[in-house]
Amino acid sequence: MLLVVASTVLREISRRRVALLFILLLPLVFYLVRIDVHWQAIRFLAIGIGWAVATLSLFSHVGSRRMDERLSVVGAPPTALFFGRQLALVAVGLGVAAVYFGLVALTQSELPRLGGVALLLVTTVLIGVPLGALVSMVITRELEGALALLSVMALQLLVDPDGPMAKLLPLWSTRELSAYAIQEHGAGSLSSGLLHFVVTASICVAVAWIVSVVRLSPVRMLPPSQGGPVGADG
Amino acid sequence: MTASHWESELRVHLVEAGIEAVEAVELARDAAAEAEAAGLHPDSMYGPAVAYAATLASTVRRASVTAAPLARELGAVVLRVSGVTKAYRRRQVLREVDLTLRAGEVAAIVGANGSGKSTLLNICAGLTRASSGSVERTSRIGYAPQHDGVSALLTPAEHFRLFGAVYGMSPKKSVALGTRLAAQLGWRPRKDVVASQLSGGTQQKLNVVLAELNRPDLILLDEPYQGFDQDSYLDFWDQVFRWRDGGAGVLVVTHMLHDLDRVDHVLELRPVEES
Repeated sequence: MLLVVASTVLREISRRRVALLFILLLPLVFYLVRIDVHWQAIRFLAIGIGWAVATLSLFSHVGSRRMDERLSVVGAPPTALFFGRQLALVAVGLGVAAVYFGLVALTQSELPRLGGVALLLVTTVLIGVPLGALVSMVITRELEGALALLSVMALQLLVDPDGPMAKLLPLWSTRELSAYAIQEHGAGSLSSGLLHFVVTASICVAVAWIVSVVRLSPVRMLPPSQGGPVGADG
Repeated sequence: MTASHWESELRVHLVEAGIEAVEAVELARDAAAEAEAAGLHPDSMYGPAVAYAATLASTVRRASVTAAPLARELGAVVLRVSGVTKAYRRRQVLREVDLTLRAGEVAAIVGANGSGKSTLLNICAGLTRASSGSVERTSRIGYAPQHDGVSALLTPAEHFRLFGAVYGMSPKKSVALGTRLAAQLGWRPRKDVVASQLSGGTQQKLNVVLAELNRPDLILLDEPYQGFDQDSYLDFWDQVFRWRDGGAGVLVVTHMLHDLDRVDHVLELRPVEES
């Protein structure tokens, strides 16, 4: 069931070609706008990918809600519906990340740890997908959810990363992992970045999954006892 | 247009309307022969082939329903609603509703806008929790909501595969079964068209087919015929009675009162303030 849901979601997404084009273009804009400062460009690129993927995830989950309700009523496991969709969105996000990893590899020749850039982009996708799902569970309308994500991402770009509140933002790990990828002496950032990523991704996945299962699970009903009055009386 | 052109056009449109190819050839040949015997061009006798095909296909399907009616036997209770009340905050939508439906019966829920018809159906489906009272029902159900019953970006075959996977069917079997059920509603799904490109009536036919794909014991339908033309509407009711004759319980929300003489139970809901 999980794979059927994932492949179905991939087909749906593949038919939204204009949306896919913008998902692909958004990180490019972020990257090009700071191309003069290579470490900034890579950090912005990661946040652009995170934003694009989270928005795609938000719209996908909000748009599927009625159909998922229908499927769960006739017996589809809510867990398979949730993780099947997440799997498809991660696949799309990793595709976008692979394209931009290639671009960085081609345009940035002096990076000390190119593998660190791959790690940065992959972890950003793995946070962005469940983050979009989580927002869709809290704010069940597309426009309001997109504005909420915009606020989070704007905060992510503007806040002082060394400030005490910065670690509460979902993509703080991108700053640490980008330091690891870009700076010669940035190896110390790896563990803090990975720890933040694991905690953030786990919270987003767990909360979104639990809320999704609670919402989609149909009301339990007993099978009818036989006998009793026949007919209707409103 | 020559008579043979008209005949071949009729044949094509009959197949598109869900008639088996062999039967379509025979029907088209018979129609052309009758026109020839009357000394008329088929177009002037029957009208355009496309319009005549729709009428003919509908008649053939209806004849197959009445030609071999199954013996009706009331089966086990598939749904029992007892004293169900629903209130949203202070606004009461349903009050003390009772309904018992057995396998092999059709019940219609009727009532004015805002009387709680869809709310009751959602409670029976398990989407909405009743404020008080109880609902007992069989676990194998089919459900067709009034809105958003299909996914705009999926083809009919992809819908069949997705719902078939829920019921443990192979993809091939799901598509074959879905296509056959669609034909009973006078529709032949195309492989390359997504739901958003279908007409409103055809989207609703897909909605209905998805509700019966698993041969359920209980079928819940919320005004699923919106957008149907007259023939499709008649096909839909024939299909409802075909399900009933096949042993399913059918609960349908409707505001079309002229079909109620054929159903087994009518549950009339009134806005709670007025009752």
